Amino acid sequence: MAQASIKAKQTQQDATWKVRLQEWWFRNRALIGFAFIFPWFAGFIIFDALPFIYNLYLSFTDYQIGTVGVPPWIGLENYVEIFTEDKFFGKSMYNTVYYLGFSVPLRLIFAFLIALILNLRVRGMELYRTLFYVPSVVPLVAATVIFAGFLNTRYGFLNQFLVLIGAMPVRWLSSPDAIKPSLILISLWGFGGQMIIFLAGLQSIPDDLYEAAAIDGGTGWHRLVYITVPLMTPTIFFNLLLGLIGGFQIFEQVFILIGTNGGPLQAGLVYMLHVYNKAFRDFEFGYSAALSVILFLIIFVLTLLLVYTSNRWVFYGDAQDDGT
Amino acid sequence: MKPSRLFGLAMAAMMLLSLGLAPALAQDCDGDVIELEFMNWWGAAREALMDTLIGHFQAENPCIRVINQVQPWDNRAELLATAAASSNPPGIIMSTRPETYQFAINGLIIPIDHFVEAHGTDLSVFYDGEIGLQYWNGELYGLPMPTAGGLTGLMIYNKNLLRDAGFDPEDPPETWQELEEMAAAITVADPMGIDVLGAAAFGTDSEFVAWLYTNNGKYVTDDGRTLLFNSPEGLETLEWMLSVTNNINHGTLNITDFFQDTAFAQGDHPWYEDKQAFLHINTSFFGHFNVNDPEGYADPSSWGTMLRPYNGDNPDAHSAGTTGYNYSGAWAYTIPRVHPPEKQEAAFKFAEFIGAHPLGGCAFLFAQSRPSPVKECNENPAYYDVNPYWSVVLEGLALDTPVQITPVQGQLAEILSNNIAEAYHGVKSAEDALNDAHAEMQALLDEFWAEFDAENM
Repeated sequence: MAQASIKAKQTQQDATWKVRLQEWWFRNRALIGFAFIFPWFAGFIIFDALPFIYNLYLSFTDYQIGTVGVPPWIGLENYVEIFTEDKFFGKSMYNTVYYLGFSVPLRLIFAFLIALILNLRVRGMELYRTLFYVPSVVPLVAATVIFAGFLNTRYGFLNQFLVLIGAMPVRWLSSPDAIKPSLILISLWGFGGQMIIFLAGLQSIPDDLYEAAAIDGGTGWHRLVYITVPLMTPTIFFNLLLGLIGGFQIFEQVFILIGTNGGPLQAGLVYMLHVYNKAFRDFEFGYSAALSVILFLIIFVLTLLLVYTSNRWVFYGDAQDDGT
Repeated sequence: MKPSRLFGLAMAAMMLLSLGLAPALAQDCDGDVIELEFMNWWGAAREALMDTLIGHFQAENPCIRVINQVQPWDNRAELLATAAASSNPPGIIMSTRPETYQFAINGLIIPIDHFVEAHGTDLSVFYDGEIGLQYWNGELYGLPMPTAGGLTGLMIYNKNLLRDAGFDPEDPPETWQELEEMAAAITVADPMGIDVLGAAAFGTDSEFVAWLYTNNGKYVTDDGRTLLFNSPEGLETLEWMLSVTNNINHGTLNITDFFQDTAFAQGDHPWYEDKQAFLHINTSFFGHFNVNDPEGYADPSSWGTMLRPYNGDNPDAHSAGTTGYNYSGAWAYTIPRVHPPEKQEAAFKFAEFIGAHPLGGCAFLFAQSRPSPVKECNENPAYYDVNPYWSVVLEGLALDTPVQITPVQGQLAEILSNNIAEAYHGVKSAEDALNDAHAEMQALLDEFWAEFDAENM
């Protein structure tokens, strides 16, 4: 009896303690939430926001390597020079936009198609999914070095194969005409990340929608066009946005494959290479900072435009019923 | 004895000496040991050799510990700029001449004249043309090593390919015209491009400038203020280079592909496969050749060294080389400003040792069969044993002409390179390429000198 009483008291105390903890948690939920995001927030402030603000400040100065003390303030001079005198600004921007114009849609389509295939219910699909994702795990530098050998005009596997089947070899990385298409082809290698996101999106589409379509006599094409694609538009939008932002910042592959000069006739001089050259070759860090600010503004405006237009083509599934 | 064995013996002797001396002398150091981070680009292949040299230095200077920080060549510009501009740069930095000037003008490194005076350093041990390259605005910023000489004036050639094509391998070409004749006879092309290359007259600004001097042309006036390369000699030079590229080497793209993804230092260059007859690199060639193909190097009947051919149609032209023009010439060891005086002095001592000491720079370069910027080092008769063409090397050094450059040389070189590339790709005529480059470069140079003069008035 006494034991039962003690146990009941203990249970009551536990319950009280639990209730108090819950109350404390509820009262301080905002604080706890902030505590959880603090590591990210601190990292964002220290490694993103402050360098960004400092970069913005440098863009209005003539900061060169070794400038002691406060770099001289020159106002908009860097920006004026970029738009009026810098012939590589236009060239590098053109090369980057050309690359983006092809690589982003191609990667989206390729990743989407592979995701569709990997969403089929067949035996051993886990293995296929792993295999298709493996390229994305290979470090970019290693993959690029492999591509350099693969695309070598005389000894590369691709040209050896082309010659074997009677085709003409292609100067993938040495001809000004072929450099950008080569970079676009290489960019497909990294489709795995987008593919995984598409796959997750595809798996979240309710089966009953497909069943309903099948009952109504919808074909596979109809299901794709009227169910899959509309319901995948948020994922497509997300991948498109990230693809554009990443595409504008393409650097490592070009740096390794064709060097800082951008290859013959600067056909591969992408924007970030130009930024790099101005900073580390010419030691004009203020000018380089201005170039980066311009790139930021371009990406920012483009992102805003995409977000604005997304209302017209992205289906979030939460549209209000108009009651008709 | 084979030269490669001589290298081995020399290296082993140096290592033994350093191992024996270092511990004994280290005990004599009573004060704090100064740590000197030595940022350099000598590469992994020469790291052991450099460590040996450092061992000798530490044996003589037990209170200084040199940390050999060999850097990868990739990202060099980025590594160098960030290191030099940081608040804690290396104790001593290996920099090219344009970089040295750039750092000097921005106050990142110190002039070393006061150390030279305090230590009684005899600068006359260096060739005038070598030490002269390390001055900016009347102040000395570094001591040279390796030599800036022999950089463009020497070429190597494959005797077997000459022999096979019916030429006398002991009689290499002396003029552009003879070179063209031999190159045309040797070059072989297949559907994939060039299989065997006679000679390349192709490249960036530095290759053009090298050929320009063999046509009695000049890049710039001696005061570094007026560019001269778009002269009739310059135009003739570029047109000849284009002619060789298009008429003998089947065009720019073929010659580009021939050298794609190859590096002489790595041993995967066409030279090692008997695929190139005439080749210009610089005097580092001897060391790399010996490391990558010791048997080939040890057989002087299969390869030779010659002076860069000159334009036989120009009566004033002769074989010539340049020093201090391009990025890989005129390396020096520079001392960052932010360090305390005792560390700067330690850095100077090391620079002095690595530049001129018999067990320092002399031994380091001797082990690679390449010349030193120190006259006396090159007078070592043992060079004739390790380098079968030492007399040609000395002849080449004597023909070198120093070229004046400025801290904006990197930008000037880029403009010239881009314009020359446009000529190679048929976008511009040779004349337009040189004139356009000249106009843009001279404007940049004028702007630099105007600012410089204003600040130094």
